[in-house]
Amino acid sequence: MKYALVTGSSRGIGRAVALKLAQDGFPVIVNCLSNIDAAASLVAEIDAAGGKAELLQFDVSDPEAIEAALESWAQAHPEDYVDILVNNAGIRRDNLMIFMQNDEWHSVLDTTLNGFFYLTRRLLKDMLTHRHGRVINISSLSGLKGLPGQVNYSAAKAALIGATRALSQEVAQRKVTVNAVCPGFIESDMTAGLDRDELKKLVPMRRFGRADEVADLVAFLASDSAAYITGQAISINGGLY
Amino acid sequence: MTRQEIEQNVTDFLIDDLEIEQDVITPDARLKDDLGIDSLDFVDIVVIVEKRFGFKIKPEEMAGVVTYKDFCDYIERKLAA
Repeated sequence: MKYALVTGSSRGIGRAVALKLAQDGFPVIVNCLSNIDAAASLVAEIDAAGGKAELLQFDVSDPEAIEAALESWAQAHPEDYVDILVNNAGIRRDNLMIFMQNDEWHSVLDTTLNGFFYLTRRLLKDMLTHRHGRVINISSLSGLKGLPGQVNYSAAKAALIGATRALSQEVAQRKVTVNAVCPGFIESDMTAGLDRDELKKLVPMRRFGRADEVADLVAFLASDSAAYITGQAISINGGLY
Repeated sequence: MTRQEIEQNVTDFLIDDLEIEQDVITPDARLKDDLGIDSLDFVDIVVIVEKRFGFKIKPEEMAGVVTYKDFCDYIERKLAA
């Protein structure tokens, strides 16, 4: 059976993506680092709606934790593999670069960029040998245009786009697609501390996006309808560039 | 497993899994240049060899493996070890 794995899916965009993929009929692996209660509640919500979900807790920035979790999952699922990987886990540690601490830089890159590398590398083999797979990386408007106060976050999200374009060419022959999604301002915990009323004025549509709108785009990229789309960074931002 | 069985096994998966034409598979055929095996095919080969022969290929051991015969020799050595 083909599974979808969504990293950092206990809340926000990841949660919406996991829900949508489950609605579309994929068994979903819900991943989180620490927010177990929220992740367990999502699994229960998917199950209650007639979907199939399970919780797999690990730190995407820790290759040994990834290996241990996925090895144990593989042993429990000898006939299954992860066909859809949504690299969504990410953190923000905003600061002006002049004041930015080493750990603020490294922690953001560890989760977003190294997490993508460790986990995607681990799961690619099965996609290649099955001649089918979807890797969808959640990047950001911040990775496209760069946002002040987010040098770490912009760097990590921009690197994700570069990696998306390179990897897509490596695996295209095997019918594995790799795309990035670049949300603008989305209503979520990530944007909770921002001045929404002021920021809305910058958006041509005069509103923040919703996590379920991003989830719809991810679900399309995961579907067979998107089989010929690869190496793209697709914006969903209400017209804000 | 006899040498003949090893060769039959290798030939079978080259034809069935990697869609290589039988008539180009000869002892001296170079895996890359003559059989068209690329680095992504190698991912398949690692999985197939593990399934069919029960051991995991280590990439560094494949350094001197150029031809079909080299590859069968390598498998024979690994099975005898």
